[in-house]
Amino acid sequence: MKKWFAAGLLILSVAYTAHGLSTLTLVTSSGRPAAGFFPLLIGLLMMISCAVNLLGDWREESAQRRSGIVPRHQADPEAEAKADALGVDAHGIDGGQDYGRDVLIVFLYICGFVAIMKPIGAFLAMVLFMLAFLFTFNRAHVLSNLIYSVALPGFLYGLFKVLLNASLPISPFGF
Amino acid sequence: MLADIASNLSLGLSVAASPEGFLFLVIGAFLGMIVGLFPGFGPAAGIAVLIPMTFGLQPTIAIIMLAGIYYGSMYGGTITSILINTPGESATVASTIDGYPLAQKGRAGPALVMQAIASFFGGTVGVVLITALAPSLANFAASFGPSEYFLIIAVGLLMLTTMMGDNKFKGFISALIGFAIGTVGVDVMSGQQRFTFGSPELIGGVYFVAVAIGLFGIGELLHCVYNGQHRQPTKRLRISFRDKEFWPSKEDYYESRWTFWRGSGIGFLAGVLPGSGATLGSIIGYSVEKKVAKDPEKFGKGEMRGLVAPEAANNAASAGAMVPLLSLGIPGSGATAVLLGAFLMWGLQPGPLLIVNDPEFVWGLIASMYLGNMILIAMSIFAIPLFVKFLDVPYVNVVPVIVLLCIIGAFAINASIIETWILVVSGLIGFAMKRYGYSPAATVLALVLGSMAEETFLQSYIISQGTMNLFWERPVSLVLFIVLLAIVVLPIVLALLVRSKSAREGLSNKV
Repeated sequence: MKKWFAAGLLILSVAYTAHGLSTLTLVTSSGRPAAGFFPLLIGLLMMISCAVNLLGDWREESAQRRSGIVPRHQADPEAEAKADALGVDAHGIDGGQDYGRDVLIVFLYICGFVAIMKPIGAFLAMVLFMLAFLFTFNRAHVLSNLIYSVALPGFLYGLFKVLLNASLPISPFGF
Repeated sequence: MLADIASNLSLGLSVAASPEGFLFLVIGAFLGMIVGLFPGFGPAAGIAVLIPMTFGLQPTIAIIMLAGIYYGSMYGGTITSILINTPGESATVASTIDGYPLAQKGRAGPALVMQAIASFFGGTVGVVLITALAPSLANFAASFGPSEYFLIIAVGLLMLTTMMGDNKFKGFISALIGFAIGTVGVDVMSGQQRFTFGSPELIGGVYFVAVAIGLFGIGELLHCVYNGQHRQPTKRLRISFRDKEFWPSKEDYYESRWTFWRGSGIGFLAGVLPGSGATLGSIIGYSVEKKVAKDPEKFGKGEMRGLVAPEAANNAASAGAMVPLLSLGIPGSGATAVLLGAFLMWGLQPGPLLIVNDPEFVWGLIASMYLGNMILIAMSIFAIPLFVKFLDVPYVNVVPVIVLLCIIGAFAINASIIETWILVVSGLIGFAMKRYGYSPAATVLALVLGSMAEETFLQSYIISQGTMNLFWERPVSLVLFIVLLAIVVLPIVLALLVRSKSAREGLSNKV
């Protein structure tokens, strides 16, 4: 997946640069940089760096495939890379299983939550999201899931709508 | 000068110690401890998610509360590092190296107390140095022109991205993504629309809070789900400060007496330097402590100095990062970038003039940090049993709280469903960035500073009539330009030297 993310970034950077070039003015009539100058600079840098990055990730994955060695699951890749650069071994937190499927499920639930928020109102959308989430990942506790799924949205709705007077979508039932 | 500082601080204390200021400071510190406690949910995410909850407050009180969350999370983040080998946030990764072995040896109590004392020490040293440095730096920065500002931004971002070990390139790309997002909207110089695709909602640009909440809040949450936090059984841990074994020994204090100072000094410097931040500060603090120790073999096996150094450093760094934010208006880390966003939301423009125009705010914030550190050390020691109880809450019940706060909070800011979708997409990108070694902090920093970078770059270009010599003609610019070149060139030169050395060695071995 790493190389596909890198490839996605390269495609986006090409699209960004191409759209910028086709819609923006690069230099004014007096020869000064115009609205497209800075985006072009960024776009070019992005295209070059994303292409090199993709090549690196591709090679890394190919090498892993050839050697058959699967790297350990890293808990905090960014901080661990910084520690490596300074010669500090911070990999004691690594290992363990990864849960890609769960990430997909949670993300889809979040998308569903945002999609239904306007038509059915924030409160009901929150309740439905919580029910879906808790009955997927915490099935054993039916009663507490039900109570929690109403209590937390109720509290947050009250806090934002009543206390902070925020504008939240309202359901056809008036809440 | 001391009289000025005293009078400024008393002005600040009148704000921070007012009933309202104190109440929200305690709430911020408490929330910060909890934010730090939940793995993967760092200060940047905590501040971003809780920004919408400060809408009803006065700007100064709101920022005092958000700053309390910021430095409070540094205290809370270590509790899980020590007890369950799971860092609450990136800046406490280094604390697991010796913190967890200490707990395994049955010294969890002393480790928790020493981390609280180290955090207090580092945090207080940091605030004392802010008090001394911020006004002087602001005075100095008042003479800065666009070229100096552009170079500071460039140095900060380059430092943030080049300090990432193997992931330098990914850090650089992360910053470019932030700049690219920052170009959406109306160009300030010409008024031309860029990348808006005809949408009126994008004319004002991509709203920074939605991106920050997405990258840090949803992104980190998805990363925690990926790590399996939501499937972890509840950890029933019990700690009581009434236990005899709870308190550190005299040897612990004696052996760490210089570590407190070293860690604080290193951390503060790391915080002040744009781009390095608390994570790097804590790792450097640990690394230096191990190098200067006469018995480095003890490190990694439950050495108290190995815990004290990163703890003093990350708290001093979180204070240090406020110096460039308050005096230059330039954040040095992801969390301070989110704080800058909150400043701007409240109509406060950080920079050299902030101290002159709004002394009540600046000194109120600084004074609140003194008080906050005192509140936090008391909470960290005497309320540890309470905070440990929070770990009884299964992460599966924490996930919906974070999701609802992110989504409802992002929607509530401008009642915009497009911004809410931007948050969701940013969340997915943030997860992938964290997973594949990119830097969401660099993206947010570049997004926040993007328009400033473009504006100052173009101003410098126009003033120098296209020659760009403004970047090396003025003394401060010249120094910054040399630093910038050093950051870019030095790693390449070093890599070439290492390569040629190893080639020579290979050749001599063959002979």
